[in-house]
Amino acid sequence: MSLLHFQVLSAALFAIGVYGVLARRSAVLILLSIELMLNAVNINLIALAAYADTVRITGQVIAIFVITVAAAEVGLAMAIILRLFRHRSSVDVDDVDIMKW
Amino acid sequence: MNYLLFLPELALAALAFGVLVIDLFLPRERKGYLPWVSLVGLAGVLALSLRYLWGKDTNLYGGLFLVDSFSLFFKAFFLVMGGLVVLSSMEYVKRHLSHPGEYYGILLLSILAMMLMTSSGELLTAYISLELLSFSLYVLVSFARGDPKSNEAGLKYILLGAFASALLLYGISHVYGMLGTTGFTEISAALLLEETPLNPAVLLGLALIVAGLGFKMAAAPFHMWAPDVYEGAPTPVTAYLAVGVKAAVFALVLRLFSQAFMPAIEEWQVILAILAALTMTVGNLVAIAQSNIKRMLAYSSIGQVGYLLMGVAALSPMASDGVMLHLLGYGISNLAAFLGVILYYNVTGKENIADYAGLADRSPFLAMAMSVALFSLAGLPFFAGFTTKFYLFTAAAEGGFLWLVGLAITNSLISLYYYLIVIKQMYMVPASDKSALKVSLIGGGVLGVLVLGIFLVGVYPAPLVDAIQGATGAILP
Repeated sequence: MSLLHFQVLSAALFAIGVYGVLARRSAVLILLSIELMLNAVNINLIALAAYADTVRITGQVIAIFVITVAAAEVGLAMAIILRLFRHRSSVDVDDVDIMKW
Repeated sequence: MNYLLFLPELALAALAFGVLVIDLFLPRERKGYLPWVSLVGLAGVLALSLRYLWGKDTNLYGGLFLVDSFSLFFKAFFLVMGGLVVLSSMEYVKRHLSHPGEYYGILLLSILAMMLMTSSGELLTAYISLELLSFSLYVLVSFARGDPKSNEAGLKYILLGAFASALLLYGISHVYGMLGTTGFTEISAALLLEETPLNPAVLLGLALIVAGLGFKMAAAPFHMWAPDVYEGAPTPVTAYLAVGVKAAVFALVLRLFSQAFMPAIEEWQVILAILAALTMTVGNLVAIAQSNIKRMLAYSSIGQVGYLLMGVAALSPMASDGVMLHLLGYGISNLAAFLGVILYYNVTGKENIADYAGLADRSPFLAMAMSVALFSLAGLPFFAGFTTKFYLFTAAAEGGFLWLVGLAITNSLISLYYYLIVIKQMYMVPASDKSALKVSLIGGGVLGVLVLGIFLVGVYPAPLVDAIQGATGAILP
């Protein structure tokens, strides 16, 4: 296994995440796709730290911070989505259209 | 290590949690004390910053946290602006929002995040403080619990904001992977050693970082969230988003591009110039068609981001001065315009441009103050907007972006048109309801001070320019 394998895996996961954000219509699934993107970043960071920065392993430190931030983000986003669901019993982002230009 | 240099941040964090705790013990009818506690605290933090950070040029935690005149300038700016936002929020929060304790506590936390952001000397610190800022704002934007518009704005903001953070992080991971470091000065040193043309992975990282920050500052084509979020958020939060967050992101961008990415200026200069051209044109053209005043001001602030990005593209000491000066001039003018919108909404509950008909008869002071703010945003002489834009445009022209400056001037003329539509409504169209409007004393007082500030910056900017040149000296020697 070389660094390249991990980088390709990370790039593929990231691309799937971006596709999910753009193509999914449910707010929860969009959130899930964003999580996928963040995990792609984590794989990239940890692999880079293990192969290219073995002394300081900054990448692994960043990954821990990213995991923490991602958890907080999901909590906050789910709270907002939950309130949206109470208002109109749907989490479809196409229904969220009071404001449009 | 000298912990006194970190004292302002610690004090502000203590203040934010203090406000949350005090809120628990205050009976409902005494909640009005909370903004005053916040204001006194902010003044104290400002005094601490000026007392302990003045003239310092050093760093803490091995370069993670920088203390220099650049960060001091922006810290003072954020603290003063935070105080003005607290003052403008008072009546609005009392009338339209529940849970004032959480409102002011989270507002203070977001100011802390901005202060950390201007001081960060490393990508992870910058990212964490950016997330602290964004999280506080997600909550503030969706703070009006009963209002479906605020809820919708919060959802759009958090989904697109999280997406932007992921892009930014992926960019950071590539820059870290290829250059082996996340410190700004180390990145700059590593970039100098790279052979040209640059490694595509570094370029990808750079592009993703630009895209991620572009989302946060609402630069076209990453601006889609801004109008909806600005319209749906409670108006004081909108003012805060338009002034504070933009200033914080630009403070980070200025430091990042001058201290870290300067050796690769050939690569990102063109991208930023194109983004700037796109942003100012889209913002100003779409603003014409708006009927809601918050939405119109949202598009106008997107246009202003275009001018500021132009300054970053032409990065030089003079351009950095121009960007900071324009952030200040735009900040005062926009705050005044939004305060006018808040005061009008507090009394009438309306926020469409058509609702402003005959305001000059109903409240001459409010109409005059809003006209001054809008003229300043358009950049007419004697107002702050003219002086700061003049400085910024001159710097960009000297940096070789003459075509961009031409476009910016054309856009300023376009912007005058939609600002004049509002002023026409206020002065020429008769009101259906002729009763006099009573503006609250505090709101009116703050608005008066802001109007004076607009004229002061417009006519006598010399002391400010001196302070800004000192601040720029810290990042671009």
